[in-house]
Amino acid sequence: MIEDTSANILKHADENDSADIHTDQTIIVVEHLGKSFGDNCVLRDIDFTVEKGDVTCIIGPSGSGKSTLLRCINLFESPSVGRVKFHNEDITHTKRPDEYRKRVGMVFQQFNLFNNFTVLGNCMVGLKHVLHKKSNEAREIAMQYLKRVGMESFVKAKPRQLSGGQKQRVAIARALCMSPEVILFDEPTSALDPEMVGEVLNVMKQLAADGLTMIVVTHEMQFAREVANKVVFMENGVIVEQGSPEQIFMHPQKERTAEFLRRAQ
Amino acid sequence: MIIEILKEYYPMLFKGVGYTLLVALVGTVIGLLIGILIGTYRTMPKPKNKFLRAMKRVGDFLLAAYIEVFRGTPMMVQAMVIFWGFALLNGGATLDVTVSGLIIVSINTGAYMAEIVRGGVISIDSGQFEGAHAIGMGHGKTMFYIVIPQALRNILPSIANEFIINIKDTSVLNVIGFTELFFQARTIVSINYQTFATYLLVAIIYFVLTFGISMLLRFVERKMDGKKNFKVLGSQNMDADSFVREEGGIG
Repeated sequence: MIEDTSANILKHADENDSADIHTDQTIIVVEHLGKSFGDNCVLRDIDFTVEKGDVTCIIGPSGSGKSTLLRCINLFESPSVGRVKFHNEDITHTKRPDEYRKRVGMVFQQFNLFNNFTVLGNCMVGLKHVLHKKSNEAREIAMQYLKRVGMESFVKAKPRQLSGGQKQRVAIARALCMSPEVILFDEPTSALDPEMVGEVLNVMKQLAADGLTMIVVTHEMQFAREVANKVVFMENGVIVEQGSPEQIFMHPQKERTAEFLRRAQ
Repeated sequence: MIIEILKEYYPMLFKGVGYTLLVALVGTVIGLLIGILIGTYRTMPKPKNKFLRAMKRVGDFLLAAYIEVFRGTPMMVQAMVIFWGFALLNGGATLDVTVSGLIIVSINTGAYMAEIVRGGVISIDSGQFEGAHAIGMGHGKTMFYIVIPQALRNILPSIANEFIINIKDTSVLNVIGFTELFFQARTIVSINYQTFATYLLVAIIYFVLTFGISMLLRFVERKMDGKKNFKVLGSQNMDADSFVREEGGIG
């Protein structure tokens, strides 16, 4: 009788495992996600999981749906089918996307710094008005992260007075200020000239080394190879292949992956 | 001649200028607030709930009707309709003329401002909205802290325009007996019969008011653009001078 029960529990646990691979470490699970704009199907049947501390790089040719996938995860786009789960809770159609986005930061290709604020103001506005911190505390936190990205001497500058790389570092600091559990990077270096790419990637490498969970859509193969622990290769709205950087870069299973990497490098 | 009129009737003219400025200023400010509220409401994302979505559509319709009606009829007629309409509903008791004037100019300006603010909001890059949403701001906070301040800077010339138009157009309020500048001029003429000189004087006063205000608002615009330089704090390892950029041609 007792044995039966424990066997049942075990069996049950097994079933759970196979149906749902959620663990305490899992932050985001994307399940069968699809997105179409009218007749145009941009994403199909996307599945992947992000664990705490993961650096996931999404690579692939332009127009393969990488950015749309990231925007679906942040609920900027509403997925047409499938689910996005955050800490095992389905947030796909949540009524409060703002609450969810407090915990999931985003860094944009075009920086999107607030033009009406200084560098410091950009970092403080969320702390003050979203997390309701006092001004002093907000300033301290903002300064701490601006130092981390090496922009502390520019606190008084307005965004239009900064170079692209500097803007992007401020944008990263702004995202960090909210202490999100994961930060989504949407081609963070694509709008930068080659010299500035390095300064932004260095900051991101440092963050990865410090254990920040990141999902990075990028064309920087070198970065993906060195920093990521998961690489997702997408084309035409589907995940062609995903695995460790070694698997994808050294031993790609699909011919298409190999071809893309040959051309990209 | 003009100087004499000014000397003799300055208390009346002064009062007229005061009321004209009061109603134009209050009307523009309240009109702007109405415009901001409507602009925020109209740019709200579609609610997911069906009932709320229907309510939003009703609200949109009412606001569109308000804007079209008040833009589509003369303020002089609106003043009469509101003033006497109120009297009719209250058994003959009229609303205080000053209060009526303020209400009429405010809601009339609001109709124009709603469209001006909407134009200002549309002109803001969608990246500003997304940046704000990405740090967990809802629509209200996004508008209040990020979008409206930038939109206001962009529409400041149009706001100045409305203010100047209001200074001139309050003259139509004389039909309900509001003692603004034009009303005072008519009163003075009925006393001294110097029609040309009196109205010339009033024209000069109107021009001084509007020109002063356009100067003032241009000054405000420059202030809002802020300094062109900024200080780099600390010396770091970098060549600080190279980061102090002179900025050319923006704003």
